[in-house]
Amino acid sequence: MTVRLKLALTVFATGIVTALLVLVTVVYAFQRFEHETAYRRGSAFLSRAAAAYDNLFEMHERQPDELRAWLRNMVLFEPDTQLYLLDLKGTVLASSGTARLPSGFRVAIEPVLKAVGQPDAAYVMGDDPERMDADAVVAVQPVRRVMIRPDAPVVGYLYLVLHTEQLPADRWAALRMSVTRPALWLVGAVVTFTTALALLIIVSVTRPLRRLTDAVATISQRGLDEGAAQAGLAAIEKSNDEFGQLKSAFDMMLETLRSQWRELRRLDHFRREGVSNLSHDLRSPLTATVACLETLEARWARSPVRTEPVDAPSASSLRTGAQDDDRRLIEIALRNTRNAARLVQSLGDLAKLDEPEFSLRSEVVDAGELIGDICVRFADRAARQGVALRAVEPGRGAVPPFAKVDVELFERAVANLVDNALKFCPAGAQVTLAASVEASQVQVRVADTGPGIAPADLPHLFDRFYQSRQSVAPATGEGGKGLGLAIVKRIAELHGGTVAVTSTLGQGTEVVLSVPAAAP
Amino acid sequence: MATPVTTPARILVAEDQADIRDLLAMNLRSAGYEVDAVDDGAQALARHAERPADLLILDLMMPRMDGLEVCKALRQQGSATPILMLTAKSTELDRVLGLELGADDYLTKPFSLAELLARVKALLRRASLLAAAQANANAQLQQPKVIRNGELEILPAKRQVTWRGKAIDFTALEFDLLLHFASHPGHVFSRSQLLNAVWGYTHDGYEHTVTTHINRLRNKLEADPMRPELILTARGAGYKMRDIS
Repeated sequence: MTVRLKLALTVFATGIVTALLVLVTVVYAFQRFEHETAYRRGSAFLSRAAAAYDNLFEMHERQPDELRAWLRNMVLFEPDTQLYLLDLKGTVLASSGTARLPSGFRVAIEPVLKAVGQPDAAYVMGDDPERMDADAVVAVQPVRRVMIRPDAPVVGYLYLVLHTEQLPADRWAALRMSVTRPALWLVGAVVTFTTALALLIIVSVTRPLRRLTDAVATISQRGLDEGAAQAGLAAIEKSNDEFGQLKSAFDMMLETLRSQWRELRRLDHFRREGVSNLSHDLRSPLTATVACLETLEARWARSPVRTEPVDAPSASSLRTGAQDDDRRLIEIALRNTRNAARLVQSLGDLAKLDEPEFSLRSEVVDAGELIGDICVRFADRAARQGVALRAVEPGRGAVPPFAKVDVELFERAVANLVDNALKFCPAGAQVTLAASVEASQVQVRVADTGPGIAPADLPHLFDRFYQSRQSVAPATGEGGKGLGLAIVKRIAELHGGTVAVTSTLGQGTEVVLSVPAAAP
Repeated sequence: MATPVTTPARILVAEDQADIRDLLAMNLRSAGYEVDAVDDGAQALARHAERPADLLILDLMMPRMDGLEVCKALRQQGSATPILMLTAKSTELDRVLGLELGADDYLTKPFSLAELLARVKALLRRASLLAAAQANANAQLQQPKVIRNGELEILPAKRQVTWRGKAIDFTALEFDLLLHFASHPGHVFSRSQLLNAVWGYTHDGYEHTVTTHINRLRNKLEADPMRPELILTARGAGYKMRDIS
């Protein structure tokens, strides 16, 4: 449920409750007003009648029929009324009505006394002899005997029952009453109007919030730089309310994030530049050193001393011994310098691949063909190691694994995997390459039956410079210093792919390099 | 006529780092070449104008005038002398730039001397072959040799290719590769054999170039490059051109 809907519902519910209360009040006030009017009218009518006829009680005693006739005549002037003569206890002595009351029928005397004793009362409700189930507005006038005395005693009461319109007992009927129906329409109209108005106001008030939400969504989808530019934050109008404060707080947060991001990028750039420059600067001295050692090695190979027949066995064996040592020293120096050179190159390459502006030179190739060629490349080395290296032929009906890749990089990734597998495999092991299409991904598998990788090492296998403690392999090739697999991972990422490894100690390792398949 | 004494090829080395320059010169000399070594690009140009060399080895990053500028200047002068570029930058961009501006080959530092010597040899051989081919082409313009394989027709002297009656343009390397295939139809070559025969490389690590070029040939010649019918793959061995005749 959105905030807008909640607010609108709240306004609507409040409106309905208020309207109902107003309705009840109106109906109640209307009824009271009606009662009061009837009471005043009745009281005035009775006082006039009593003033004109002061011998009512005597008339009742002498000519009851005449009194009845008079009563009947009186109510002709006041429609919807019944007039009664009561004695002091409330017993009905005479009635204008035709209904026959049981003799000695008595109405409650308290309303009568109240009406007489409190002339200011708004109205008085008393018994209606004809309808004992409901009270009615009554007006009362005391009746005295005809005596020339100011304090002539009260002997009875004229009791006027005014039939006002009563609320029907049925609620729906009550609602349909002539008073409530228009009021109800009005209330409905007011509530609708208010709700619509409230909705309009809520929408306009919450618009900045909506925009802000959209902006946040855009930024989280498109990233800090592009997203913030497209989010249209500038379109949100400036205001000093809570939304305005939220917006400026958001802007500030965005600015902080951006500056931190810029800082990170700057540091990352420096790091890459640093590695790149270091790698660059190390190349020349390494080139010179390698060239020196190679020159020396070539001289040793051409040196006649080694091939010369031995004249003085003792002296020359000593000499050749020392020369063999020298040769070995050069070999060691050369091998290590070459490894250092390779490492420096890998470092530089990785820094290059990390650059945001690095772009692939992609073309569509058959990964199956490529792994065959890579097998050919490594065939000699595998044979020397006594490792069976082969590429699995795809099945007859299989989809050819075409992928759009940068051939140089992709081949390098697969070659690094093969190189790594060969490095750890003992003689007699197998290394198998396979390429297939699964779920529009070209998967290149490099599986070996080597010693496997410890589970603790698996998650870090593709981290830079991570080298398993178990590994005792010499530092040769790119993998030697834990860069080879990092390069594989980076290449997979650049192609929008992944690299995954599964391994069982003592059984072997399988690495799967997946990249999106090319559309056929 | 003069006696056919083969004079050693002259190589001009321009490298600002003295150690590497000396090592290069030393090794090239002991490989039997005549070597001139200079410090920077400007000197290299001057020296080359003075005594033209058969091959230039240029470092990419040099003071005063870098390798690329020398390369550009030489090619603008119309010189076809092969150039081997040495670079400490291994970026793709630099490689492409180097080759587009007229360098014939490149080596990234650190390189092995054996590889450098092999490249030098290959470049010199190619240059002499090219010269010979041009001489031949001039001599035999009347009756050009045609290599045919089914609907494929290659005129090596004119470097023209017709496939199914349509003339198709190829870059120099694509043409050389196609010519190599067409000259030995049905014969399977591994990528390193092709690299050696067409590019003149002897070292590991550049085989992907062959893949890329075979891809390009297929894109130009095959109806469906994903199901090639002319340049076929011999799985686990290499590539061959189908012998149609």
